[in-house]
Amino acid sequence: MAGSDLFVGTLDVLILKAVSWGPTHGYAIGRWIRQTTNDALQVQEGALYPALHRLQRKGLLDEEWGVSETGREAKYYRLTAAGRRELRAEAARWNEHAKAVSLALSAAKP
Amino acid sequence: MKRRFHLSIGERGVQKDVASELAFYIDMRTRELIAAGVPPDQALADATAAFGNVGAIEAACRDERRRDVRSRAWRERIASVGGDLRYAVRTLTHTPGYTVAALFTLALGIGANSAIFSMVNGVLLRRLPYANAEHLIVLQQPVASLGIGDIAFSPLEVADVRAGMPRAAIDEYHSMSFDLLGHGEPRHVQTGVVSADFFRELGVRPLLGRTFADGEDQDGAAPVLVLSYQFWVDQLGADSSIIGQSFTMNDRQHVVIGVLPPLPPYPDRNDVWMPISSCPFRSSPQVKSTRTARMVSMVARLPDDMTPAEAQRRLSLVEARLHAAYPDAYKGVRDATITATPVHASMTDSARPAFLVLLGIAGLVLLVACINVAHLTLARQLRRQRELAIRVALGAGRRRLLRQLVTESLLLSIAGGALGLVVARVAMGALGQFASQFTVRADAIVLDWRVTLFALGIAIVAGLVFGVLPLAADRHDVVSRLRDGASTAGTGRVRLRGALVVGEVALAFVVLVGAGLAIRSFARLMSTAPGYDPQNVVTARLVLNFTKYKTRHDMRALGDQLLQRLQGAPGVVAAAVANEFPASSSQPRNLSLFSIRGRPAPDSLHQPKAEVNVVSADYFRTVGVPIVAGRAFTAADRDTLNVALIVSASAARRYFPNESPIGKQLSFNNGKSWYTVVGESGDVRQFGPAVDIPEQVYAPFASTGTNDVRVLIRESNPTALGARLIDQIVHSIDPQQPVIDVETLADARRDVLASPRETALLLSGFAALALAIAAAGLGGVMAYSVGQRTSEFGIRMALGAERASILRLVLAQGLWLVVVGVAIGIGGSIAFGAGMSKLLTGVPRSDPLTYAGVAAVFLIVAMLACLVPARRATAIDPASAFRAS
Repeated sequence: MAGSDLFVGTLDVLILKAVSWGPTHGYAIGRWIRQTTNDALQVQEGALYPALHRLQRKGLLDEEWGVSETGREAKYYRLTAAGRRELRAEAARWNEHAKAVSLALSAAKP
Repeated sequence: MKRRFHLSIGERGVQKDVASELAFYIDMRTRELIAAGVPPDQALADATAAFGNVGAIEAACRDERRRDVRSRAWRERIASVGGDLRYAVRTLTHTPGYTVAALFTLALGIGANSAIFSMVNGVLLRRLPYANAEHLIVLQQPVASLGIGDIAFSPLEVADVRAGMPRAAIDEYHSMSFDLLGHGEPRHVQTGVVSADFFRELGVRPLLGRTFADGEDQDGAAPVLVLSYQFWVDQLGADSSIIGQSFTMNDRQHVVIGVLPPLPPYPDRNDVWMPISSCPFRSSPQVKSTRTARMVSMVARLPDDMTPAEAQRRLSLVEARLHAAYPDAYKGVRDATITATPVHASMTDSARPAFLVLLGIAGLVLLVACINVAHLTLARQLRRQRELAIRVALGAGRRRLLRQLVTESLLLSIAGGALGLVVARVAMGALGQFASQFTVRADAIVLDWRVTLFALGIAIVAGLVFGVLPLAADRHDVVSRLRDGASTAGTGRVRLRGALVVGEVALAFVVLVGAGLAIRSFARLMSTAPGYDPQNVVTARLVLNFTKYKTRHDMRALGDQLLQRLQGAPGVVAAAVANEFPASSSQPRNLSLFSIRGRPAPDSLHQPKAEVNVVSADYFRTVGVPIVAGRAFTAADRDTLNVALIVSASAARRYFPNESPIGKQLSFNNGKSWYTVVGESGDVRQFGPAVDIPEQVYAPFASTGTNDVRVLIRESNPTALGARLIDQIVHSIDPQQPVIDVETLADARRDVLASPRETALLLSGFAALALAIAAAGLGGVMAYSVGQRTSEFGIRMALGAERASILRLVLAQGLWLVVVGVAIGIGGSIAFGAGMSKLLTGVPRSDPLTYAGVAAVFLIVAMLACLVPARRATAIDPASAFRAS
C-alpha cells in the first residue's frame, strides 16, 4: 500500500475532519481531501478505503447506509464521540507542530 | 436511513459491502471526470487507474472489516457476561439470607475438601525432592514368622546384594544416637550413617558446603559431618560459618563439611549425618566380619530401564543364593526375604488408606452441602417465579434465562470456593499435625496451585449441580405458571425436594457411620485393659555414651546410683530403670528366641520367642504390673551366670500351658547358659492397645544392663516435678549425660493412640457437619411443605381433625423421608465400609451397634427438625387458612 507512516497519520486526521460536518460517503470524503489539499497528497485514491475501515474498527467512525444524491445505496461514515475527541486532539497536535516548525524556520541567525 | 446490526454481517455480507462501496466510488469518480469533459469510455479507465489496485484495496478493507466484526462479537459477549454478573450480584444481594446461607454451606463443604485434598496432594501426589525418585527403592529384610518388618542387613550382606545387582547404585544406611559435644551444652543427636554416595544418588544438593566425597566412607578417613537443615536452623541458629568447625562425637573430632536443604525426614528424622567409617559400631572389625551383624538398610537407584518388579526378581535370586551359601546366618530367620519397595511408597503407604477415606468422606459432605444449597436455590426460585416469568414475557429466551441462573450459582459457588480456600488454609496447620502421624511427608502439605485449581474445579462442579438441579423440576412452562399464579407449586418440585432430602440423609448416614466406626474402634482401644497403671509415672531416656559406659559393670553402677538417689527423693513411691516400658514403642524391639531345658529343640521357625525386657527390681511396682505367681525381682538378683527371669502370663500360657513356669530354665544362647524363671507377671499391652499382648520375658537390669536406659518414677501425686527431679539427679551423677524423651506413661499411651484418635476426631467433625446440614435441609423442606399444605390442614381442622393427628401427619411425612434415606444410607455404608476396614481395630466394618446408633441419631434429629414446622401446622387457624387461599 502506498504512503509513508507520516501520510497514514495525515490521512487519518483529514478523514476525521472530512466527516466532522455530518454523515459523508467515501467518494465525498476523497473529493474533499483532493480539493482542499490541491492534490498535494499524491497517492492512489483507493488508499482512502482501508483507512476508513481501520478508523471504523478503532471506533472513531460509525457507519450508516443511505441513498446517495445519484439514487444509489451508499455507505455513509459518521464521527463517533471518540472520533470527535481524536480529531480535536490531533488537530491541536498538528497546529502546535506547524507553529513550532514555522517559528524555527523564520528564526534569525543567532 | 436504515441501520444494520454489526453482528448480522456474515462473511458474504462483508464482501458484498466492501465491493459495493468501492464500486460506488469508481462510479462517482467516473461521473466527475465525464462532467469535466473526459470522454465516457476514457473516464472509467482513468477513474480506475487513479483508484489503484482494486483487488488489493478490497482485500485490505475486508480484512479490517473482519477484524472489526470479530472484536465486536467478543466485546458483546464480554459485555453480556458482565451484564449477567452485575445482575447476579444485584439479585444475590437482594436475598442476603439465601446468599449467606449458601456461601456458608459451600465454604465449609469446599473448604473441608480442599483441606483434605491438600493433604492428599502434599503427601501422595507431590514429587519427592529427589532426582528421578521413581527409580529409588528401599531394600528390607522382613521375617514373616516373627512378625518383624525388617531385620536389616549386615555389611557382608550389603556387599553380596551389590555384587548381585551390579547395575543398580546401592547405598547403605542406618541411624544411631550419639552425643554431640563442642558447641554449648551436650546434645543428643540422631545420626544418619551412610555410604559416601548416598546423597549424590538421591540427587540432593547441599545448601552449604558439600556432601560426602568418594573415599570418605573408607576406613581411616577423617571423621566428617553433614548437618540436616532442621538441626542447623533450630540448634545452631542457621550459622553459615559452621562449615569447617568441629564437634566432638564418640571421643573424636568431626569436621562439619555441609548443610543439607530441607528434606523429608526419611528414612528417619536425623539431626546430623556421617559416613559409615565414622560410626564406631559399623566400622568395628566384628560387625564387618559377621554375617548376622544386621544393622543397616539399603537405598538403591535402579537404572532407567529396570522396574522395581525386575529388581525384586534379581533380589530374590540373591536371597536364594545367600540362604544356600550361609545357612548358619539364617538360623531362626529362615523365612527372611529381601524386598524392594519404591521409596515413595515406603513413605506414604501407611497414610494412603486413611487419607483416601477422609477424601471420600469429605466428598460426601460436599455432596450433602450441594444438595442443601439446591434446596435453598429451589425455594428461592419459587419466590422468584414472577420475576422469571416477567423476564420470559419480555422476550428472554429459555436459554438466556438458564444462563442467568447458572451465572448466579457459579458466582456463588466460586465465591464459596474462595472462602473455602481460606477455611482450608486455617485448617492446614492442624492437618499437618494429623498427617505426621502417618507419614514423613507432612511437611509437604501446602496450599499450592493444585489445591487452588482443585477448589476452583469443585466449586464450578458444585455450582453447576446446585444451579441446574432445581431447573430439572421446572418442567412446567413458565408462562403457564404465571397464569396460574405463583402460589401453586408443581408436584414435581415437592417430589424433587423429597428426593433431595432422601439423598442428603443417605449421604450423611454414610458419613456418620464412617465416624461412628472410627469412634467405636478408638473407644475399643481406649477401654482395652492396659495391664499396668499409667497414672503418676514419669519416664525419661538416657542413651549412654558407649565410650564412657563400656561394660555391664559401668551401666550397673550408674543404675544403682540413680535408683538409690531417686528412691530417696521426696514424693517418689517407686523408681526403676529398664530398656523399655509399656507403649514406649509400637512394635517389638528386643524379640529373642530361646530354648526350654528338657525339651527337644524345635524347627527354628517354631522356636519359642519373647520380647526381652531388662528391668530393675522395683519395675513391676513402679509401672503397676502385678506378679501373679512366684516372686518379683529383688536387689539381690545380680547373678550374671544364673540369671533370674520373670515370664509374662501370656508367655507362661503359650510355653507352659498346663504347668507352672516357676523353676523352669530358659536359654537364649542355644544352651550355653541356662536362666531360671522365678516369677510370673500379669499381661501387658506392651506395644499399645492396637497390638496383641506379646509374650514377654523380664531379666534383671543388674544382671544384664543396657545402654538405652529408660528411667521411671512413680510419684504419690501427679506433679510436674518428676521430670525435673530425674534431670537433676542424672546430672548430679553425670553432668554430660543428655536426658531425652521425658514424658508420662499416660502420654506414651496417648501417643500410640494418636492416629486412631485424630482420625476419629476428624471424621466426627465431618459427621457433625453432614448431620447439621442434612437436618437443616430436612427442616427447610418440612417447613416448605407445611406452608404448601396450609389450606389442606385448615380444611382438615375445620372438619374436626385433632391437632395431634395433624402433628402426626407432618412428622410421618418427615420421618418417611428419613427412613428411606437411612435405608439407602445403610446400603451405601456397607459399600463404603470396605475402604474403612484398614482403619479399624477390634470393630467389624459392619458393626451393627454403630449402624443402629447412627440410625437412632438420625431419627431423633429428624424428629427435632420436623417438630418446629409440625408445631406450626397445628397452630394453623382454619379461618385464616381459607382466607389466604
